Amino acid sequence: MNDFFMLIGFSEILLVIFMQWEVYVAKIIKTFSISSYAVSVFLLYLSFVQHSYLVLILAILTAVIRGFFIPNFILKRLARDPWRERESKPIMGTASSIIISLVIAIFAYVLYEATMLNFIGVLSGAIPIALVFQGAFLVISRRNAFIQLVGYMVMENAAFLFTGYLFPDLPFSVEAGTVLDLIGVVMISGIIMRMRENSPKKSDDIDELRG
Amino acid sequence: MDLVYILPMAASLIGALLCLVRIEKFEEIVSIIVSVCTSIFAVLILFSPNVSNYFLFLDGISKIMILTISIVYVMTVIFSTTFFKYIDEPLFQKRFYYLLLNLFAFSMFFSVSVNNFGLVWVGIEATTVTSALLVATENDESSIEATWRYIIIVSSGLVISFIANILIYSATGTLDISKLLSMNSFSALLPLGSMMALVGYGTKAGIFPMHTWLPDVHGKAPAPVSAIFSGVLLPVALYAMIRVIQFTPIEYVKTFALILGFLTVIIAASLMAVQTNYKRLFAYSTMENMGMALIGISLGGYALLGVIILILSHAFAKSSTFFLSGNLLSRYKTLKIDEVKGVAGRMPITAYTLLFSSMAITGMPPFGTFFGEIMIIFVLLSAVHIGWVLLLMAFLALAFISMNFKVGKMLFSDSEGDNMERKRVGTIIPVIDTILSLAIVFFIPLISKVIK
Repeated sequence: MNDFFMLIGFSEILLVIFMQWEVYVAKIIKTFSISSYAVSVFLLYLSFVQHSYLVLILAILTAVIRGFFIPNFILKRLARDPWRERESKPIMGTASSIIISLVIAIFAYVLYEATMLNFIGVLSGAIPIALVFQGAFLVISRRNAFIQLVGYMVMENAAFLFTGYLFPDLPFSVEAGTVLDLIGVVMISGIIMRMRENSPKKSDDIDELRG
Repeated sequence: MDLVYILPMAASLIGALLCLVRIEKFEEIVSIIVSVCTSIFAVLILFSPNVSNYFLFLDGISKIMILTISIVYVMTVIFSTTFFKYIDEPLFQKRFYYLLLNLFAFSMFFSVSVNNFGLVWVGIEATTVTSALLVATENDESSIEATWRYIIIVSSGLVISFIANILIYSATGTLDISKLLSMNSFSALLPLGSMMALVGYGTKAGIFPMHTWLPDVHGKAPAPVSAIFSGVLLPVALYAMIRVIQFTPIEYVKTFALILGFLTVIIAASLMAVQTNYKRLFAYSTMENMGMALIGISLGGYALLGVIILILSHAFAKSSTFFLSGNLLSRYKTLKIDEVKGVAGRMPITAYTLLFSSMAITGMPPFGTFFGEIMIIFVLLSAVHIGWVLLLMAFLALAFISMNFKVGKMLFSDSEGDNMERKRVGTIIPVIDTILSLAIVFFIPLISKVIK
């Protein structure tokens, strides 16, 4: 069980590092889709181990909503041809963001060991914590709204992985509510992003909000 | 018997669905009716016994939160009926505006009524979903940018509180608020979970250092949306923080909350001094009040009564200032403090209401905010060194001077021009709100009784 979690967890970290060095938005979204399917595969495995139909439902919800629906919804929202949409000027350069990503992974491990390891007792619990930080870093290191949204969803996926592995008996209503909220956030974000690109009225005080 | 407790949720949800009916002005009439009904239900709930069952948990604090939400909801709906026509090319049709407003109210009622801390999180995240498009109603570049900042910052912050919920569950084995409040034993993960929850929910409540979305959204949202955000959305997030402190009997977690509150007041008061945009000035004032409330929450006991009085009085006074900011914007067509002149001569009712509501939000006697802050400071005196209290009071004084000096400048500076006041519902609603923020003082014994 722990080995399988480690495998999925490290795959997730590698996928996020791939997102850090990628500039094409569509590829980042597809990578997120793959990482969501990986989370759902883990939940599926967990449901068989624990004989829990609620975890099985959660695995299916994760695959359908996070793996399929949300990435496709975002891809359709890309204003231009998806394969052309790229971030030309990220806040942080690719090389430095990869190095920072690695530092963040080490920092997350040290932080987890110092604060939670004694109580949770599972060393691999550091993986979701590292993923949360990676997602947050993706949000702050990019200007492109679609990539920022993916960063937020990476954080959500990490929280889901954390729950699934360490606390699978968390009330189902809470986890299902989380999935529903995520759909809402993504759909509203999709509308806002489209509006952002086609804003009819220019504003003089936009600089007040940037930087 | 428990049906009365879900009536505010049911009414706002039904109101939202009825807004889909395509009849001229139907959405306005329905929204006014359901919001007034929720206020009546809120009063009924206030005098009903506390309830704790599988789905609901309503004690005195929840009941007062429901009452506050419902009154600000009524005022916002009524004010919106006059304000909406001043928006050129709104993002959506009027009925969608009211649909979202009613859903937004529903998600707030839900958040303060449920007996599961995980569902409180779901409710608070749902407030983001239902309110985001309301911020972008004016459909211009800056309001859309502000909306995006709101979604991404608040949602990312709420992921922290989601992880916090997991840790709290791991430490206690439950997320039921009633069980958490009566819990005696828990693992050492609880303080970590609680501190993360304070940071996460603090994002939504405009607490330092996760407050950066707040001035942008309040500055760019339409006036009624800013009013409901400032008046009740932020206190709903504070409600979650109250619960966290209540079920975490650990001193250093409370100290952590105290420090966050303290820093919030200092940062907000300092930024108020340099504001040139009146809506952003009011936004930082909200942040300052939320900081004071968090200080009170961390102290507990008598200070918690101060927090409730502060939240109630601030909700009415601040919604009044934001409604009035909408009136100013519709006449002067600017948000710059320096460009708004002679309001007292040209819009006397607006001017004097703004003067009193500004005094109220900065804690001037005899408004309820003054009594709330005094109670908090009184308890703080016994908890920390007097030097810290004096420092806090110095920043409160800075906020007071910044706000009232800048508002005074807009109101009493010389200006030529005709009277621009329109005696309509948009002028009356802020007057009622300001009176309510004063009237709270007479209900302090009742509030105290309800909380006990």
